Amino acid sequence: MTMSTFRSPARRVGFALGFLLLVCVSLGAREVLGMQQPATPQSLKPFWHVFAAYAVVIILVGGWAFSIARRLRDVERRLVD
Amino acid sequence: MVRIAGLRRGGIVLTLLGLAGLIGLYWMSFFWVSTELTQGIVQRIFYVHVPAAWTTFLAFGFCALTSGVYLWLRDERLDRAALCAAEGGLVFATIMLTTGPLWARIAWGTYWTWEPRLTMTLLLWFIYLGYFMVRSSTEDPERGKRFAAVVAIIGAIQIPFIHLSVLWFRSLHPQPVVVRPDGPSLPGDMLTTLLTGAAVFLVLFMGLFLFRYALETLRAEADRRARTSTI
Repeated sequence: MTMSTFRSPARRVGFALGFLLLVCVSLGAREVLGMQQPATPQSLKPFWHVFAAYAVVIILVGGWAFSIARRLRDVERRLVD
Repeated sequence: MVRIAGLRRGGIVLTLLGLAGLIGLYWMSFFWVSTELTQGIVQRIFYVHVPAAWTTFLAFGFCALTSGVYLWLRDERLDRAALCAAEGGLVFATIMLTTGPLWARIAWGTYWTWEPRLTMTLLLWFIYLGYFMVRSSTEDPERGKRFAAVVAIIGAIQIPFIHLSVLWFRSLHPQPVVVRPDGPSLPGDMLTTLLTGAAVFLVLFMGLFLFRYALETLRAEADRRARTSTI
């Protein structure tokens, strides 16, 4: 990742929001993991399923957004050429 | 140069709003909403699974509607809108089909079961995957677009059956808890979180749909220029 990746204000805000999402998920992880003490590997299973489901949302929506942005850049380059 | 600045601006604003809303939804789900008594923590998957399902049905429904009008009017903008909605619908359908089994593994003891609603939803996913294959399967792009429009309409016919399947057949999948004749059966905080999730997913879909539509408009312009220069 180069510095030019962060040049546009929209991208900067996007990265900041993405980072905040990750912080939110990890804080949530700490919160719910702290609810049950002591935790056995079996009892932690539902928590990991919740985190995996929430991560899937971020990955797929983020992946779609990045894929659109990449294709948009390519077409713009094609039009300029 | 075609004008896409408005679409782009709208897309950026809605997507950033949607991402901020997603942070809010995750916060509500982790720190605010009460834990369901029988299923425990895993029930929180509900707040992303159900909104993803609603957004999928909305996207595929919109795709079928624009496809139908495209077959009638043959306006390229309608075909572009259908394509963008189909892509978004497929993304949210994948979220629904991934988060559901993660929840089911804990709630039912299995990731997947061939019961009516799950089977029909998987079929819907494959039909819309076929939408993209059909589009690119013909040498004449116009023919591909027409065939794909028919596939989109056939796929969307399934949506009401998916909703009603849990009422018609014996099913492991829970009955509807919001869209019911006698009103929602959820406690207030759960309903608020669910509706927040639905609004967030809808805004995210709309934002990315506008971006995708801008891309398709530019691509059409690039193809037109390429054809003109060849002639």
